[in-house]
Amino acid sequence: MALSKDVYKELEDIVGPDYISNDPAILASYQFSLSVTSIHLGPFFRTNTPCGAAVALPDSVEEVQRIVKICNKHKIKYKASSTFWSSMSYPSHDDVVQLDMRRMNRILQIDTKNMFAVVEPYIIGVNLQAEAMKVGLNTHIIGAGGSCSPLASATSYAGPGPDTMFMGYGSENMLGLEWVMPDGNIMRAGSLGAGLGWFCGEGPGPGIRGIVRGALGARGSMGVFTKCALKLYPWPGPAKLHITGKTPAYQAELPDNFRVYTLAFPSWQAWADCCHKIWNAGIGYLAHRQFNMFGRELKFAMIKILTDPNRTLSDLEQLSKDPKIRKVNEEMKREFQFIMAGMTPRDIAWQEKALDKILADTGGWKVDAMSDPEIAKWVMAYLIRLGHKNLNLIYSGGYEGCFGSFGPPDYGSSHVEEIAEFKKEWEKKGAIGDAGGDCMMGGLGGLGGGAYVMWENFTTWDPHDKDSVEGAFEFFEECDKFAKQRKWAKGMERGNALCRGSDGREFPKEKREQVLSQSPQAHVFRYQQKIRESFNPNNLGDAHYTTLETQK
Amino acid sequence: MALEDYLAEAERCSQCSYCKWVVFDHMESWRFSNGCPSIAYNNFNSYSARGRYATTLALLNGTIQYNKKVLDIVYKCVTCGNCDVSCKVCRYNLEPLEMIHELRFKLVEDGQLLPQHMLHIEHLRKEDNMMLKPRADRARWADGLDIKRISSERADVVFHAGCRFSYDESLWPKAQAAVTILKNAGVNIGIMGTDESCCGNRAYDMGYSNEVKLCASRNMESWRKAGIKTVVTSCSDCYHAFKRLYPPLGSKFEVLHTTEYMDRLIKEGKLKLTKKVPLKVTYHDPCNLGRQGEAYIPWKGKEKKIRSQIIVYDPPRPRYNGAWGIYDPPRDILKSIPGLDLVEMERIREYAWCCGAGGGVKEAYPEFSGWTAGERIEEAMATGAEAIVSACGWCERNFLDSIEANGGNMKVFDIAELVQQAI
Repeated sequence: MALSKDVYKELEDIVGPDYISNDPAILASYQFSLSVTSIHLGPFFRTNTPCGAAVALPDSVEEVQRIVKICNKHKIKYKASSTFWSSMSYPSHDDVVQLDMRRMNRILQIDTKNMFAVVEPYIIGVNLQAEAMKVGLNTHIIGAGGSCSPLASATSYAGPGPDTMFMGYGSENMLGLEWVMPDGNIMRAGSLGAGLGWFCGEGPGPGIRGIVRGALGARGSMGVFTKCALKLYPWPGPAKLHITGKTPAYQAELPDNFRVYTLAFPSWQAWADCCHKIWNAGIGYLAHRQFNMFGRELKFAMIKILTDPNRTLSDLEQLSKDPKIRKVNEEMKREFQFIMAGMTPRDIAWQEKALDKILADTGGWKVDAMSDPEIAKWVMAYLIRLGHKNLNLIYSGGYEGCFGSFGPPDYGSSHVEEIAEFKKEWEKKGAIGDAGGDCMMGGLGGLGGGAYVMWENFTTWDPHDKDSVEGAFEFFEECDKFAKQRKWAKGMERGNALCRGSDGREFPKEKREQVLSQSPQAHVFRYQQKIRESFNPNNLGDAHYTTLETQK
Repeated sequence: MALEDYLAEAERCSQCSYCKWVVFDHMESWRFSNGCPSIAYNNFNSYSARGRYATTLALLNGTIQYNKKVLDIVYKCVTCGNCDVSCKVCRYNLEPLEMIHELRFKLVEDGQLLPQHMLHIEHLRKEDNMMLKPRADRARWADGLDIKRISSERADVVFHAGCRFSYDESLWPKAQAAVTILKNAGVNIGIMGTDESCCGNRAYDMGYSNEVKLCASRNMESWRKAGIKTVVTSCSDCYHAFKRLYPPLGSKFEVLHTTEYMDRLIKEGKLKLTKKVPLKVTYHDPCNLGRQGEAYIPWKGKEKKIRSQIIVYDPPRPRYNGAWGIYDPPRDILKSIPGLDLVEMERIREYAWCCGAGGGVKEAYPEFSGWTAGERIEEAMATGAEAIVSACGWCERNFLDSIEANGGNMKVFDIAELVQQAI
């Protein structure tokens, strides 16, 4: 059932005729392919998210509010998205009004004294970083990359990333907030709600972080966030990244007070020990096991390709057989990338000394090949800006992490080899990319001392190849069983499987309730059900805000 | 190739939206962070490369049919190739710009035409130019100019003026300067006069792939008959046609942009720039000279998979990603002009913002075209420059039109004019 002409006219009157469309040709670009990067539920071959009824592009909180009120009046579901790079951003039902937030793309304020920025939904991480660096500040960029909206991850999802050890999770950085609630009323939260500006998320004024975010963020299902303030952090580098090199081998100049290393270890125990010692010492600006995403057997060959504008993927086979490259891969079998930034010359000297002591204590080392200036400068550009995150999909266009988990370094590292062996067997079957089993990657640490590592083992497939997509799905199913047998936590690759089913639509409620009621923290979802009933009485969102009606 | 051949790419596009932005590594500010003029002006996802992949997929699957909106989506793009550069920072198996061209070829093949384009195409067929002017007037720009006419005199090098410089009277001094500089530096150069044909590049960009073949055939035949070895042009559209589109059609001629030739002459000491030109300028990279100015490399091969699911090409496929475009010769010339101060805009080289004149947009969507040029002028003004310098008549015309419409003191120069002042 499409929108009636009258309702369409009501919406058109709000945003103007140039900023709304229900033309099928436009709506086709507002559907997401679940065979590409399934975002923790598929992949499902040639399956799209449902087509919207219309897409509207509001320009202000007032316009958003009026749209939401009309949707409530007519009981029409709606869903807002900033950058549309995730299945979570798309409808799960037919005839949803989609809100494309790209016109709300302003940085409203950068408060250098109090170190925060006020942004709208379509500001992306790189936008904010470029402006913040001009005043000696930096913003956390989530692992999905600089193309993502910091407001979206802070208000609506988790938001870990390589710089989390210094700049936290997206969700930790949310301060004052402006929220068009699901019923169309506007809530201004934290200090903003008390008329005292944006500096605090929890008060003076209403502290509603728990309500708006719930367990993991409402992922676009509980109203629309129109502005928020985000914490900024010190940036002791230049006012702009000085980039050199030919595309795609861009490099950032390394200031004297920065160090870029790849640290490697003789054992996973030593790897985990080093994480703890780094956090205890309080050193480092960024820590991430990044390039292992290309695979244990391919990573240095891939780095050689990406740092040379003359090379292509066609060089991969030959490079990966080169004994020198294989030696580097073997040397950095258990590694992570580590960037230190000194606030003063004395600071960087001390950090360097502390790192050397930690490496001596753990038996670790700095990988020489990765310290080659041409590579180190490329790593600097890559990790500080995170503008190449689409490399996740470089091999063939489809990717998802398996065995995704958050936990202490000792937890994930104890599973790496077992998981690698398991995955390697599946890689031999041919449906997924054969990269050496261990493609485990993720960020290390968190604010206030760390102790957390995010792990996911990258798995790639070809979205154009039915056997590959279906084989990848089968593999993820087996990962789930493998983890369950070992009593490991459920992998993030199934994190949205209860939100959306194999037809791209909402997962059947009865089955969802059944699974959720058996979950160890079922009460959380029951509590969220009460929040939804109170704040979203017409239930105009979808299952991405996870709720449980069943009491027992 | 046919549109069906892009099905795999359409299904492999990750919908990441990198194609909308300037290359992230080089993003210096919020204000100048857009890369794709089409999405920046039109807003809906469909007006980006990822959106056009979705359009391709929907047309191939039959979930949408041709309508006015489809034509708008397909044709309202300057084909500047910024999407292509941004996409290929990470992807080695997608060709967004090729896909956009193929979409247009398909629409033209299926009779889904824009009347504004047809006007120019019909004229091209009758009068051999895209400027709606008589063929007989093609050489008027060179009237009184002491330069060889190749119809009656022999020359090794032909200066191809192109439609814009030939018929846009206010731009004539720029073309006159270019050819005179080369001649005075000792180059055995001449012009084809009324035997010069349109290069076909703009027709190609509009989706008329057959027209470029006809234009190429006419031009190459004339050059062959005249014994030409080298073709030089000041027009970046023509440069792209000769450098990229003609070689697969059999062209073996050496192709140089005037900036390449002048740079070579300066470095060889044959062109000396001695007079001061006290001017603060910024340089605009024309898309067809910069990121699309990479030389054609023959390739015939097919896709294959290694390591189960990694897509490569056998033999390795040439990669056009803007890395090897013509960026330094124009800058080296400007730096060699005494007294001239070159300041850079934020979006330059392979990630330069387009002037807005390409892709048939100036002809069919003048407001969008003007807005795109206006954005560039603002960016140029932000550098503090007094003038914006370029190396393409289409860019220069669009900038002049934008300044006339919006006001402002920014001057517009072709590099050749500044070189002439410095001699």
